[in-house]
Amino acid sequence: MATMIEENGPSTHEQSGVSPSYQARQKLEGLLNKNMRIRMTDGRTLVGLFLCTDRDCNVILGSAQEFLKSTDTFSQGEPRVLGLAMIPGHHVVSIEVEADSLEDAQGFGVNH
Amino acid sequence: MVMKSAVEDDDAGWGLGIPEKMKNNANWVDITHEFKGACKELNLGELLHDKLFGLFEAMSAIEMMDPKMDAGMIGNQVNRKVLNFEQAIKEEAIKVKDLSLPELIGIIDTCFCCLITWLEGHSLAQTVFTCLYVHNPDLIEEPALKAFALGILKVCDIAREKVNKAAVFEEEDFQAMTYGFKMANNVTDLRVTGMLKDVEDELQRKVKSTRIRQGEQRDPEVEREHQQFLALFNRIKFMRLLLTALITFTKKETSSVGEAQKLVVQAADLLSAIHSSIQHGIQSQNDTTKGDHPIMMGFEPLVNQRLLPPTFPRYAKIIKREDMVAYFSKLIDRVKTVCDVINTTNLHGILDFFCEFSEQSPCVLSRSLLQTTFLIDNKKVFGTHLMQDMIKDALRYFVSPPVLSHKCCLFNNHQAKDYIDSFVTHCSRPFCSLIQIHGHNRARQRDKLGHILEEFATLQDEAEKVDAALHSLLMKLEPQRQHLACLGTWILYHNLRIMIQYLLSGFELELYSMHEYYYIYWYLSEFLYAWLMSTLSRADSSQMAEERLMEEQVKGRSSKKTKKKKKVRPLSKEITMSQAYQNMCAGMYKTMVALDMDGKVRKPQFELDSEQVRYEHRFAPFNSVVTPPPVHYIQFKEMSDLKKYNPPPGSTDLYLAASKHFQQAKLILENVPSPDPEVNRILKVAKPNIVVTKLLAGGHKKDTKVLPEFDFSAHKYFPWSKSSDSALRERQKVIPMA
Repeated sequence: MATMIEENGPSTHEQSGVSPSYQARQKLEGLLNKNMRIRMTDGRTLVGLFLCTDRDCNVILGSAQEFLKSTDTFSQGEPRVLGLAMIPGHHVVSIEVEADSLEDAQGFGVNH
Repeated sequence: MVMKSAVEDDDAGWGLGIPEKMKNNANWVDITHEFKGACKELNLGELLHDKLFGLFEAMSAIEMMDPKMDAGMIGNQVNRKVLNFEQAIKEEAIKVKDLSLPELIGIIDTCFCCLITWLEGHSLAQTVFTCLYVHNPDLIEEPALKAFALGILKVCDIAREKVNKAAVFEEEDFQAMTYGFKMANNVTDLRVTGMLKDVEDELQRKVKSTRIRQGEQRDPEVEREHQQFLALFNRIKFMRLLLTALITFTKKETSSVGEAQKLVVQAADLLSAIHSSIQHGIQSQNDTTKGDHPIMMGFEPLVNQRLLPPTFPRYAKIIKREDMVAYFSKLIDRVKTVCDVINTTNLHGILDFFCEFSEQSPCVLSRSLLQTTFLIDNKKVFGTHLMQDMIKDALRYFVSPPVLSHKCCLFNNHQAKDYIDSFVTHCSRPFCSLIQIHGHNRARQRDKLGHILEEFATLQDEAEKVDAALHSLLMKLEPQRQHLACLGTWILYHNLRIMIQYLLSGFELELYSMHEYYYIYWYLSEFLYAWLMSTLSRADSSQMAEERLMEEQVKGRSSKKTKKKKKVRPLSKEITMSQAYQNMCAGMYKTMVALDMDGKVRKPQFELDSEQVRYEHRFAPFNSVVTPPPVHYIQFKEMSDLKKYNPPPGSTDLYLAASKHFQQAKLILENVPSPDPEVNRILKVAKPNIVVTKLLAGGHKKDTKVLPEFDFSAHKYFPWSKSSDSALRERQKVIPMA
């Protein structure tokens, strides 16, 4: 199972094997098309739909909006629309998702 | 512990309405650690993505934290506070009154540089509006600066309106967006020029009062002040003249063009004084070595950063002050040239004017001014002539069709009038488009010329029908006269000109590979120029027939002999030039075939295409044209097959033949009565090519496999072979080329 290269995209078929890499893919796939908030090393925050990632944690967000420095309040003016944006893994400081989207993505936010 | 969200599920809102969602719903859960851990489990190079999202889509994502793509990044990295105009005033980072003369001069010069950078295709937000003063001139208390700021806004506004109206720009030429900035619309043009004039008069008084008096011991301090007043005076005056000239262009009368020309000439006179006083202005203060932009008081390059779209990352490089005057003087030269168009009355002359003007690759503002001067509010040429009348005049000048002759019975015939009027009306839109095409940048022109051929094909069809109808009418009324292919000849002439220009511009734009030259030059020499010459001579004989008739009528009335001096045929120059061009193309064609025979043309390994595919692509726009019919690849191969000659010519024969063509072109051009620069340019290519082809015919460098290089520097359509450069130089020592 460990050598299996998963065909990308949310897989619908049920797999019984529970290898770590399979679990990881399941987790990430559960988050696809969910809203995600990423803070970058320069303090900006991007909010957009999670579309794609890879081993280096490079993340692509769709319909992304850029917020300046604050994390919780958006008092710093209007967000700027970026559209499709790729955040290089080494610039990702934190990743957040909305709580309700975790229902579909098993394994996240769970203490295990 | 599972975090449960308390808010209602609304999955429908994923794509849109994110901001609303953000405010209502702050239930964010940090998953950084798990996410990064899960990513590590992926294989190298593996992408985890949705079925609908692939590598192709991923390519168009902008990369954050990449200085070239991420416009928002710059603002965050700079260690200073970016202030807008009001904030800057509050924090006293910017003066709105009591500015020193060097400050004013520096600010004005930087504004001029921003204006030029905008005219060269950057956005207003990154150029003119980096100057905080123009954000709200009402807050400026210093009268000179206020008047200047308003002037700059007016210039931008009028220039933008002109460029928009002329519609001869593409995104690479011009950014018309104003980002919601106010362009001093609450103040009238007249008020702004008045303010500038007041400031100018005040400065002139100051200049006079600080002027050296006889026998006075000159205080260097006063002298410097005098120089600075003078520098400011010249700048304000330049601004006023520039603005007034642009305002004059918006007037509807033709006379205003002459007035505008006078104004820009006056403005040009100030430029050298402005150039020599640049050093009086303050320079940017901050340290630019750490990647920050140069900033000076009143300017904040990042103030509009958040207005820019994400795909708009480039930081506009504002031109240097030292280059400012040179740009202005070239701009003014172009505007002066534009004004000259009103002295050309014939439609063909106007078309030639547009072609020639476009050849210098002028800026978008001058191109637009030319368009708006030609067709004022899209109705009348120069505001006075109807396009239809211009077309009739052009027809009379070119083929003298009987239907447009006062002496012909068709002239007052209702039916004939209807025919010709509707034809001319149908012509006016395609001809206006043709003129508009010549206002676009060179690369776009080619594309658009290819498309307009379709419209001309329709006109061609109509022209032939109208000719036939007029001919049968005329046969009934005046059996001794003919109306054959008059209008058709005229449209065909324009068709051919467009086709030739389309092919030739491919050389200028460096679209063709060397192995393609031979069929392009073949198409030009054997086909298009041959057609053009026969079309021109048909028009010429049609003119002569008409003139003969007129003379007979005149002779009939008065016995005076009018046929004394031989008149210069109006089309003779064009016929001569076409012959020269045809010979140049034929020479190039034969040279290319011979070089290919000697294995000196590198051909691509055709895998996915073939010569036929390329050929068909090159001449694709000609497929919409009926006359002349397109030459398909198979036909071309048959027509250009050397085996049909007995014996088939070798490369030596072809080099010699090419040499003769160049020789012929030279002879024709040397006999042109007053040669224009174009004649000299072709001669510059023809002469060395005569020598080169002769050398090649003599077997020079026949064995080397060095590929020839072509140099298009002397003429943009005809190169001369560089490979024999050294040989040519050797020959030149012996026989000086003349």
